[in-house]
Amino acid sequence: MDEPTITCMSKVNYIAGKSLWQDALQRLLRNRAAMFALVFLLFMAAACFLLPLFSFIPNPNLTDLDHIAVGSSADHLLGTDHLGRDMLARVLYGGRISLLVGVAATSVAFVLGLVYGLISGYVGGRTDAVMMRFVDVLFALPFIVLVIVFSLSIEEPCRELTERVVDATGWSREAVAPILGLMPLFLAIGALGWLTLARIVRTQTLVIREQEYVQAARSLGLGHFSILFRHIAPNLLGTVIIYTTLAVPGIMLTESTLSFIGLGVKAPNSSWGTLIKEGADRMEVAPELLIYPSLFFCLTLLALNFLGDGLRDALDPKDVRD
Amino acid sequence: MMRFLAKRVMQGVVVLFVLETVTFFLVRVLPGNPFMGDRKLPDEVLAQLNSLYGLDASSFVQYARYWKAILVEGDFGPSLVREGVQVSEIIGSAFPVSLALGSVAMLLAVVLGIPAGMLAAHYRNRWPDALFMLLAVAGICIPSFVIAPVLGITLGAHVPGLSVAGWDNPLCIVLPALALGAVNAAYVARLTRGGMVETLSSDFIRTARAKGAGTGRILWLHALRSGLLPAVSYLGPAFAALITGSFVVETCFQVPGMGLHFVNATTDRDYFLIQGLVLCYGVLIVAANLIVDVVLAWMNPRLRA
Repeated sequence: MDEPTITCMSKVNYIAGKSLWQDALQRLLRNRAAMFALVFLLFMAAACFLLPLFSFIPNPNLTDLDHIAVGSSADHLLGTDHLGRDMLARVLYGGRISLLVGVAATSVAFVLGLVYGLISGYVGGRTDAVMMRFVDVLFALPFIVLVIVFSLSIEEPCRELTERVVDATGWSREAVAPILGLMPLFLAIGALGWLTLARIVRTQTLVIREQEYVQAARSLGLGHFSILFRHIAPNLLGTVIIYTTLAVPGIMLTESTLSFIGLGVKAPNSSWGTLIKEGADRMEVAPELLIYPSLFFCLTLLALNFLGDGLRDALDPKDVRD
Repeated sequence: MMRFLAKRVMQGVVVLFVLETVTFFLVRVLPGNPFMGDRKLPDEVLAQLNSLYGLDASSFVQYARYWKAILVEGDFGPSLVREGVQVSEIIGSAFPVSLALGSVAMLLAVVLGIPAGMLAAHYRNRWPDALFMLLAVAGICIPSFVIAPVLGITLGAHVPGLSVAGWDNPLCIVLPALALGAVNAAYVARLTRGGMVETLSSDFIRTARAKGAGTGRILWLHALRSGLLPAVSYLGPAFAALITGSFVVETCFQVPGMGLHFVNATTDRDYFLIQGLVLCYGVLIVAANLIVDVVLAWMNPRLRA
C-alpha cells in the first residue's frame, strides 16, 4: 500500500458526511415560517384533542337557552352560539373531526396513490397504459359527483361494519358510531385524493426502475416485492411526503366544503365546515359565529401550507416554489 | 401539427366514451332511485314510472338506447325528477349563467394573478414577493364559503347597486365572480411566480440584460412567454371547471347556474341529468386540455413533439 498518500489524506480538513435526511432536517429547522407553522399545528392538535378532556371545557352539545349568542365572558371564552352552546367547546370538538378526517383521508390517499403508482410504473407496458387511462377518466369526472356517489354507495356497508364491530367487541354503539359514521366521508375523499399522487409516483417509478442499483438488485435475484418496497419506494419518499403534506389542506377543504353543503359530517357531529355553515346562516345577527370557526380553520390551513412549502424546500432544494 | 391534433381529438373521444359509460353504470349501482321523494310510492306506481322512462329494461339495453338517442336524435333524455323538463333544457338555461360567471371570474384570476406573480418573481425574496405570496396562500386557504358571506356583508351591504343575491341585473355578477376568482387568482399567482423565477435565472435572460434590455421589456417580452407555461396548464382545466359552475358560490349568492344541478341531480338520482351534466363537463375538460396543449406547443417549441 502507498503509505504517504494516507498521511496526506489525514491532513485534509475532513468534513463529516451528512445524509440527505439530516441535511433536509437541518434546512427545515432553519426555515422559520415552517417551524412556526409546525408549532402552531402541534398546539392546535393538542388544543382540539386534549383540552376537551378537562372539565372547564363544557359539553359542546349542552344548550343554554338563557344565554343565546352572547359575547365572550368568563363562563364562555368565545361566547355562545344561537342555541346557547359554548363556542370554544364547539370549535375545539369541530377541530377534532376536521383534523381527524384530514389525517385519515390523507392516509387513505397516500396508501392508494403510492401502491397504484408503484405498480403502474413498475409493471409498465400495457398495464401501465390501462391503469393511467383509468386515472384520466376519474380526473375527467366532476369531483363533487364522484364524492357524492362514492359516499352514498359505501354508507350502507359502513353501517353494517359498525354493527359488526359493536357485536364483535361489545363496545357501546355510542362510542363506535361517531368514528365509524365518518368512514364513508374520509374513504370517499381519500379514495379520490390519490389521483395526483398516483401520477407523480408512477413518473418517478419509471425513472428509478431503470437505475443501475435496481438492475443490480434484480440480477441478484430479488423478488418484485422486495425491489418495489426496499429499493424503489424509499427513494420516492421525499416526493411523496412533500405532495402528501401539501394535499392535507386540500383534503380538509374538501371535507369542509362537503360539510358546508350538508353532505359531509352530520349532526350531532360537527366539523369546522358545519360550524362555518351555521355561522354563515346567522352572520347578520351574530358575525362572531362565522368568524371564530373560520379563523381556526383558515389558520390551520395556512400553517399546513407553510409546513408543506418548508418540507419541499428542505427535501428538494433545487425545486422553486410554485 | 394536424396529426398531433387528430390523435389528441381521437383520444379525447375515447376518454369521453369511457367517462360516460362509467357514469352510466356508476349512478345505477347507487342505492335508491329517482322516485324516492318525500313519500313512498306504491309499487304499481313505481313500476309504471320505471316502464315510462324505460328504466325497467336491463342496464345494457338502457345503455344502448341512451347512446342511440344521443347519437341519432341528439336527445339527452328527460329529467326524472322534474316532470316534463328535458335535460337539454336544464343545461341550456343554466350553462349560459355559469359561462358568464366563470368567464368573469377567470378574467379576474388572470388580471390579478399574472401581474402579482410576475412582480413577486421580479422582487424575489424581498417584501413584494412576501406580500403577494402571503396573499396567495391566504386566497388558497380561505374557502369560498367563507369569502362569499364575508363579501356579502362587507361589499354587498355597503356598495350601492351591488346585489348579494339573485341574477336579475348585470351587477349581480360582481360578488360571485370575486368569490370564485380569488382562489384561482391565488393559484395563478403562485404558478406564475414559480415559472418566472425559473425563467428569469436562465441564460437567455442574462444575455438580454447584458445587451441592455430594460426591466419591463425583459419581464413582458422575454420571460413571460416561457414563464407563463405552468399557469397556462393550470388555467385550461380550471376554466372548464369554472364555467360549469360552483355549488358553494351559486348557493351563497343564489345564482341559477350549473353547480346546483351537479349536486342536486346526484343526490336525487336524476340519472339522465347526471349523465348529461357529466358529458357536458367532460367535453369542456377534454377541449380545455387540448387547447392548453396547442397553446403550450405554440409558446414553447420544445414541446412540439
